[in-house]
Amino acid sequence: MPTTQIAVTAMVNGLAIGLLLFITAAGLSLIFGMMDVLNLAHGALFLTGAYLAWWIGGEQQTWPSLARAVVAVVVLGAAAGGLLSLLTAPLSRRSHLEQALLTLGIALVAADILSALFGDDVRATEPPAGLDGTVTIAGWSYPSYRLALVGIAALLAAAVYWTVERTSLGALFRATVSDRDMVATVGVDPRLVRGGVFVLGSVLATLAGLLGAPIYHARPGLDTTILVLALVVVVVGGLGSIRGPLIAALLFGQVESVGRAVLPGLASFLLFGTLAAVLVVRPRGLFTLAPGGRR
Amino acid sequence: MTGINRRTFLGISAGLGVAGLTGCGSSIGAAAASGDGHTVKVGLVIPQAGVYTPLGVDIQRGWDLWLRQHDGRLGGRRVTTVVADEGEGPQTGVPAVQKLLQNDRVDVLVGIVSSATALGVRDLVTSARRLLVIANAGAGAITGTNRSPYIWRTSFTNAQVAAAMGRHLAESGVRRVYAIAPDYVAGTEAIKGFSNAYRAGGGTIVGQSQPPFGKTQDYQPFLSRIQSSGAQGTFCFFGGAESVAFVKQYAQFGLSRTIPLYASGFLVEGGVLSAQGQAADGVLSTLHYTSELDNPANTAFGQAFRSAYDATPTAYAVQAWDAAEVLSRAVAQAGAVDGDSLAAALGSVGVLTDSPRGPWSFVQQSPRQNFYLRRVRTRAGAPVNSVVEDLGPLDPES
Repeated sequence: MPTTQIAVTAMVNGLAIGLLLFITAAGLSLIFGMMDVLNLAHGALFLTGAYLAWWIGGEQQTWPSLARAVVAVVVLGAAAGGLLSLLTAPLSRRSHLEQALLTLGIALVAADILSALFGDDVRATEPPAGLDGTVTIAGWSYPSYRLALVGIAALLAAAVYWTVERTSLGALFRATVSDRDMVATVGVDPRLVRGGVFVLGSVLATLAGLLGAPIYHARPGLDTTILVLALVVVVVGGLGSIRGPLIAALLFGQVESVGRAVLPGLASFLLFGTLAAVLVVRPRGLFTLAPGGRR
Repeated sequence: MTGINRRTFLGISAGLGVAGLTGCGSSIGAAAASGDGHTVKVGLVIPQAGVYTPLGVDIQRGWDLWLRQHDGRLGGRRVTTVVADEGEGPQTGVPAVQKLLQNDRVDVLVGIVSSATALGVRDLVTSARRLLVIANAGAGAITGTNRSPYIWRTSFTNAQVAAAMGRHLAESGVRRVYAIAPDYVAGTEAIKGFSNAYRAGGGTIVGQSQPPFGKTQDYQPFLSRIQSSGAQGTFCFFGGAESVAFVKQYAQFGLSRTIPLYASGFLVEGGVLSAQGQAADGVLSTLHYTSELDNPANTAFGQAFRSAYDATPTAYAVQAWDAAEVLSRAVAQAGAVDGDSLAAALGSVGVLTDSPRGPWSFVQQSPRQNFYLRRVRTRAGAPVNSVVEDLGPLDPES
C-alpha cells in the first residue's frame, strides 16, 4: 500500500471521526456555554441513541428501520433534554460542582437502566444496505458508511451552526446568555429558552449515538468513554462557541487517525498530550467566545 | 466565559478518571469456617457489573450446572455458594475476596476473571491459607513467577493459547505475519507467546502493534500499517467490545479479503461472536474448547447447558465446570477443606479424562491441555466455532 494511500485513508478517516466527535460535543458545549450547566449525562444520552439504533434496527439496519430509529432518538433526546432542564433548574444559581454531581448521578442511574434493559453484551448494528460495504477506488478500500458519515455529519454540523449563528431562535439563545432579564423583559420566558437549548443539545447527543452506533457499538462503558472525549473537545475548543468545538473535533479526528498512524508508540498519549499542549499555549481553549455578557 | 469554568471542568474531568479507587489490604486470621465434615462453603468471585459481566454469567452457569448435576455436593459435602462481585479490576475484586474470606468465612474461593485481581489477592489468599481455583484469569505470573501454593487454575495461560496458533501457522507455511494485541498484560503475553512459537517454527513477524487498551475505538491507523506490512496473515488477540470493533473494522476496511485473520480464541468466543456477525465469518482461532467439540463429555455437557440456559456453552463455562470437578475430587480425597489439604490433593488429581474440553492435567498448577484450531462458520443460522483440527497438548508455560 503506497504512502499516499495511507495518508489519504488516515485523513479521510480523521475527518469522519472528527465530524462525529463534533456532533457529540456540540450539544455539551451549547448547554454549558449558554446555560452554564455542566451536563455529565451527555455520554449516557449518546449511549441511549446507540442502543436505540440496535433495538430498532437489530444487527442489520434497513432504510425503514433507520428512519424509525431517527424519529425515536429525536423524540427521546428531546424528552430527555426537557427532563434535564427541569431537574437542573433548581440548581441554576448554585456552583458547577453541585450541578455536576446531579448530572453525574443521573448518568450513573441511566447507565444502570440501560444495562438492565439491554444487557451487558456488545450490541453491534450494521448500517443499511448500500452503506454496509466497502468502497474500493483504484485499490484503495474504505468503509462506505464512514464516507457517508462525512457528508451526513457535515450537513448536521452546518445546520447546527446556522441555527445558532443565523436564525432568530439562535439569536434568542445568545441573547439569553448575554442578558437573561432583558430577554424576559421583551416577553420571552427564559425558562423556555433554557429548555430549548437543553432539548437541542440532548437531541444532538442521541443523534450522534445513532450515527456512531455502527462504529462504536453500544456497550456498557461507552458512555464514559464518549463523555471524556466530548469534554476534551469542548475544553480545547473553548466553551460556548460552535466554531471552537468544530475546529477542536476536527483536530482530534486527525490526531487520533494520522497521529496514531505516524506515531503508534505514542498512541495512548496523543489525545491528552494534545490537550495539555493546547492548554499550555492557549489556557482558555482555541476559540473562546468573547465574554459579551455578565458571568 | 471565565477561567473558573474551565478549571471546574478540568477538575471534574480528572475526577472522573480516579473515581472508584478504594483502599484495601489487611491480614486475615486463618479462622476455621465449616469444619463439621458435612458442608463446604464456596465463595464464587465473578464480575456482576462492568465489561466482563458476560464472562461472569457463563462462569456462574458452569458452576451451577455442575452442582445441579451432582446433588449440590463437592466430594460428598453439601455446598453453600456465596457469590461476590469482582467488578472490572482489583479495586473492586480485592475487597470482594476480602469480604468472602473475613465476613463469609468461606472455605474455598472459585472464579476471578481479571488477571490483575488474581495477582492482587495472592497475599490475602496465601495468608488465609484458603484454596483459590482460578476459573479464567490467564496471566502467566499467577501460576508462574508469582505463584502461591494455594492458587490453582483450571483455565489457560495467555501465552499458551497464542503459542498454539504460532506453532500451527509456522507449520502450515504462512511465512510472514503481523501481530496485534492491546497494550496490557494479556495482550503482551499473547504476542510474546505467539511470536516465540512462530519464530521457533521459522516464521517472521513483519510488524507488531499494541493499541492502547480500553482507549482505542478506531483501529484504522493500525489496519493501514498491517496492509502496508506485506504480511500474509494477521495474528490478533482482543476481548469483549474491542474484539467486536476490531473484527468489524478489519472486514469494513477490506482486509479480511486479502489478509486472513488468525486469533487467540477469545476474539470469537461467547457473546462477542454474534455481535461480530458476518464480519467474523471464516476467522481461524485456537482455544482449549469450542462448543462444537465431538466427545461424549461435551455432548452431554452441551445438551444440559442448552436445556438449562437456552445458550451455547463457552470456554468460560467449561472452566468453571472443571473447577467444580477438580474441587470435588480434591475434597473427597483430602477429607478436609483447608487450603493445605486441598492443595496437596489437587497435586495428585492426575489426568481428567471426562472434561468437555478433552483430557487435561495440572502442570505447575495450571492445565496442560489440548488446543483446537477452530473456524467461524454459520450453523443453523447462528455462528459457531467449528473444529478444524486437534493441535495436541501444550504446557502452560509455552
